[in-house]
This record gives sequence, C-alpha cells and structure tokens, in this order.
Amino acid sequence: MKFVDEFRDAALGRAVAGEILSLVEPGRHYKVMEVCGGHTHSIYKYGVDDLLPANVELVHGPGCPVCVIPMGRVDDGIAIAEVPGVIFTCFGDMMRVPGSNGSLLDAKAAGADVRMVYSPLDALRIAKQNPGQEVVFFAIGFETTAPSTALTLKRARAEGVKNFSCVCSHVTIVPPLRALLESPDLRLDGFIGPGHVSTVVGARPFEFIPADYGKPVVVAGFEPLDILQAIAMILRQLAEHRCEVENQYKRVVPYEGNLRALEVLAEVFELRPHFEWRGLGFISHSGLKLSEAYADLDAELRFSVPGVRVADPKACQCGEVLKGVIKPWECKVFGTACTPERPIGTCMVSSEGACAAYYNFGRFAREREVV
Amino acid sequence: MRVVRTDPQRGLALCADGEGARHTVETALVEPLSAGRMVLVHAGVAIASLPVEVAA
Repeated sequence: MKFVDEFRDAALGRAVAGEILSLVEPGRHYKVMEVCGGHTHSIYKYGVDDLLPANVELVHGPGCPVCVIPMGRVDDGIAIAEVPGVIFTCFGDMMRVPGSNGSLLDAKAAGADVRMVYSPLDALRIAKQNPGQEVVFFAIGFETTAPSTALTLKRARAEGVKNFSCVCSHVTIVPPLRALLESPDLRLDGFIGPGHVSTVVGARPFEFIPADYGKPVVVAGFEPLDILQAIAMILRQLAEHRCEVENQYKRVVPYEGNLRALEVLAEVFELRPHFEWRGLGFISHSGLKLSEAYADLDAELRFSVPGVRVADPKACQCGEVLKGVIKPWECKVFGTACTPERPIGTCMVSSEGACAAYYNFGRFAREREVV
Repeated sequence: MRVVRTDPQRGLALCADGEGARHTVETALVEPLSAGRMVLVHAGVAIASLPVEVAA
C-alpha cells in the first residue's frame, strides 16, 4: 500500500539501525523522549526499540489524549451523562477511563444514554436526529483533534442546532513539554516531536526546546522507518554538537502548520488559565475552553458539573509513566490489578497509552529476554 | 485516505481508506481538493493534504 509499505521496508530499517549504531558514542547513555502516544504505540507494535543499541533508551511522553484526562473531568462528564434526556457522546477510549465512581461505560450500563462516536461531526448528526434531546460531546485531544471540535461547533452555529453542546477538555502540547523540561526528575537528550499535532501547529512551536534547553527535536511520522530515521537524526545532531528543530515528516507537516486550522482554533477556543493533567498536576495555559463567542455551546455552562479535583488512586503510577520517570512494567499494578480489560490508570486504557501498548506488544519481547 | 469525490458546496469529501471503506470527511482545512488526492484524516476532518508530487 502506498505510504505504508515503503516505510516498513526491512532492508531499509536494518540500514538505518546500522546508521544509529555508528552514531552512538560508546559509554554514553542516550534518553530520547517520544512525545506522542501514537509513536509509543508504533514503537511497541513494530519492536522499534529492539533495533536500537542498548545505550539508546526511548522514554514515553505525555502525548496520549486519553491518558492525561484527570478523574475529576471524567466525573464531570458522567454527571452530565446522568441528566435525564441527555445523549452523551465521546470517543470510544474515553468511555473506559475510570472516574472516582466508575467510567462512562459503567454509567451507560446503569442506564445513561452514552454513545461512542468517531468524530464530533457524528455527535452533531445525532443532535439533528434527536431535536427533543440535549446532545453533549466530550471533546478531548491535543491540537490534532481540536480543529475537528472547532469545525463541528461552527457547523452547529451555522445550522442553528440548539440542542448540541460540548465539554471541552482539549489540551495543548507545548506547556507540558516545558513542564517536563523544568522537572528535575528527568534528564533527556532529545525529543521525537509529535507528527500529527505538528500538521496543525507546525514544527515552529518546538523551537523553544533547542533555544532554551539545548535539546534537539525531530518531528516524525508514525511508521517504523519514520521513527528510526528520527532517532538517527537526533543522534546525528548530538554527534555534531548541533541542536535544532528538524522535520522528518515533511510529506505531511508544513513547518508553519495548517494556518486555516490555527485560525479556526483561535476563533472557537481560548486558553484556560490553568488545567489539571492527570499525573502532572495543574499546568498554566495548557487547556482550551470555548471562547466567549461560543460560550452558549459550552456544556459546562449549560449543565451543572461537580468540577471537583479527585486524586488518582494510590496504586496508580500513571503520572510517573506519563513523565517518563518509570517504565510501564515498573508500575506496582501493571499487568496484575491493572490490565486493558480492567484499567486502574488511563495509560492502560487507550491504545496510545504506554502501558496498554506495552501490555499488548512489548511484554512478549521482555518475556523472551527473561527466559 | 484517497479522495473519491468532493462536495465543495457543503465542504465535504467522500474518501476511501486503505481497506477501501468509505468515509465522509470535512475538508474546510485543506481545500481545494480534487479526486485522487491523498489526505490525512483525523476525527472526521482532513487536517493535511499530501503534496501532488508525493501522492502521485
């Protein structure tokens, strides 16, 4: 298949792995963070880390949209879903994220009308088909997904759909990266930049990482060869004592981003002063809410929500996994009390979560090593 | 996904994914589009169109 087969070519993969080997300095340990959960998924699915020298370590970052939603936000969603007459819609992964008293799936089992959608546009269609009921969309995701919510709200406004509203839990990628770089817990050598977020925001917003922190960033695609090449590009920068933003994913990512998408985002959303991230705490200017002009479509204003901060379960170490401080298998409950079937933490819910990706793919390689 | 047919008036396109399944996609962020172009679709919205020379 075009755009797939050529990026999974084994011979090319071996060649890039050889290049990586030639670029590493013996005795030096390299820590490279893949920011995006999509990369984490690909790394474990294709065994990319098996092709790396032992002294090149991949650290999983916070770029999984479902993983960073705190329990309090889930509780807010469930409170709205339980209002009689409401049809509550969300992406499939979001239905299984545990709140303090069960998930949206549990609320559905108890009688709430919770429906899975692939796009907010599907939720708008449900609203048009059910004019007598309030339809609420639980919007999550980074800048990749936010344009979809923004366009849906613009359509709702243009078409005069009054029974549609949105719980906005969209987040932005730069503030958590800055928080991670300021964190004393973690020493990183470079970043694999998020490919699909960058189709919207471009590669330019990551320039602060080399400028302020002296670390290379390579925006990368999601096929195994993309990721291997990005690692080689980071290591080459380090070997040549350079640090800059490079774009490995030029076939999709313009350096300046998608200007039309950025315009739509600026029209529909504004930054919240603070937003709570699961495991990372409150980060200033990191979350989006509906702008004044779209406030009438804000479900948090239309319905009453608890808005209470709820601490993560004690056993759950998602925060440390999201910051890359521990590996998924180092969590106390990984694969025992916490599995994709019965997740305790969000990282075990989404296929982009480091724990779920490792549980589904990586653990088999590790079991082979142990044997 | 590959664009099968466009509907510029409604800002939509019919696209086929790798397995041939068809999806209605919002195209406001990547217009103008024409049949045959490849687009990157996320949550029902085309967020990038691949350059013609790459997609050919």
